[in-house]
Amino acid sequence: MGYTLEEARAAKDKAKQLFTSNVGVGITRVNDGYAVKVNLPDPLVDQENIPTAIDGVPVQFEVVGQIRKQQP
Amino acid sequence: MKLDSVRDVKNQARGIVSQMLRNDVSRRKLGVRAQSIENAIQPRSIALGVAGTNNGDYKLAVRVQHPLLVEGKEVQAIREMAKGEVDVRYIGQVQKRQAPWYQQRCRPVRIGCSVAHFKVTAGTVGAFVQSAGEAAMVLSNNHVLANENDASVGDAILQPGPYDGGQNPADQIATLTQFVPINFASPNTVDCAVAAVAAGIAFDSKNLDQIGQLSGVRPSPVDNGDTVAKVGRTTGVTHGTVVSFELDNVTVGYDNGSATFDGQIEIEGAGTFPFSQGGDSGSLVVDQENQAVALLFAGAETGGSNGQGLTYANPIAAVLQALSITLIV
Repeated sequence: MGYTLEEARAAKDKAKQLFTSNVGVGITRVNDGYAVKVNLPDPLVDQENIPTAIDGVPVQFEVVGQIRKQQP
Repeated sequence: MKLDSVRDVKNQARGIVSQMLRNDVSRRKLGVRAQSIENAIQPRSIALGVAGTNNGDYKLAVRVQHPLLVEGKEVQAIREMAKGEVDVRYIGQVQKRQAPWYQQRCRPVRIGCSVAHFKVTAGTVGAFVQSAGEAAMVLSNNHVLANENDASVGDAILQPGPYDGGQNPADQIATLTQFVPINFASPNTVDCAVAAVAAGIAFDSKNLDQIGQLSGVRPSPVDNGDTVAKVGRTTGVTHGTVVSFELDNVTVGYDNGSATFDGQIEIEGAGTFPFSQGGDSGSLVVDQENQAVALLFAGAETGGSNGQGLTYANPIAAVLQALSITLIV
């Protein structure tokens, strides 16, 4: 049984504190439940100590680089 | 030939081409020769460049725009100059590539076409909206219609945007009415603005090119995996999937600095395409029932399962609430 949206929201708030270099922390889905998604501008340096879950809620990381307004 | 040798021959051959063009101008001063329309409109010009060969050497590339030039005396002279090491091809008339409809002047003004404040490059007409008892307005981003807070109410909005050739005042379609200021010091929820459509400017608030008819505003929030689409000024019609929602601290680079956004929607493009690129700002994002779900405003060039980057959009409910407007459908 996956985690609920409310559980993912609570974990998301903690993720924002844990990963201060983030450029976005949101909700996503994995398998049958919700998870936390952390967007990063660059790869994390200390990959071994990255938590894969917060209070059991899975955490996904993605390097998205810089985000810009969509204007030519 | 070695690359340097080809470059030397190319420089020498330029003299032959220049002389040919001078002779043409002199002939035209004497009057237009009777000839077929086809011949008359085909330019007599020769382009020179460098062409690679299978063995790693180089040849002089000679591209002619009139069929008679292929065996003409100028090309023959260039052949001799290059000792036969030439790649001659007839390429015909080179046409300017036609811009897609959404980058051109559109009357009636359509969802998805180019638009911008007169000092901004270009963005997209998201939708047409209204507030109680007032005239129809164009909905797009603050950074498209209000120049990142640097505009004044009443400023001219052009269609197409200046980047696509829009001129002020000839292409004015609206005047800036209202915008939600972008806060560069604390979190935002929306990047949006509206501009009142000028009297006599026709618009189509309903049709989404190749998608269908806008059916209203989705009453429920988006969820992961929802299929969405948009029509935008740069990439036209694209399809995508919501990959994250309630996304906080989305840090977006603007000309006036970085701003953060809470409660955003993240979308990746379908297949091997990005969902958006620069110029698609302001596009309305709709779900599979053609209900409005978001207003596109930012993008990252990396990320996404297809590696084509990610797109960020304000939930449409937050946009409509912030501007106290309703969608015209």
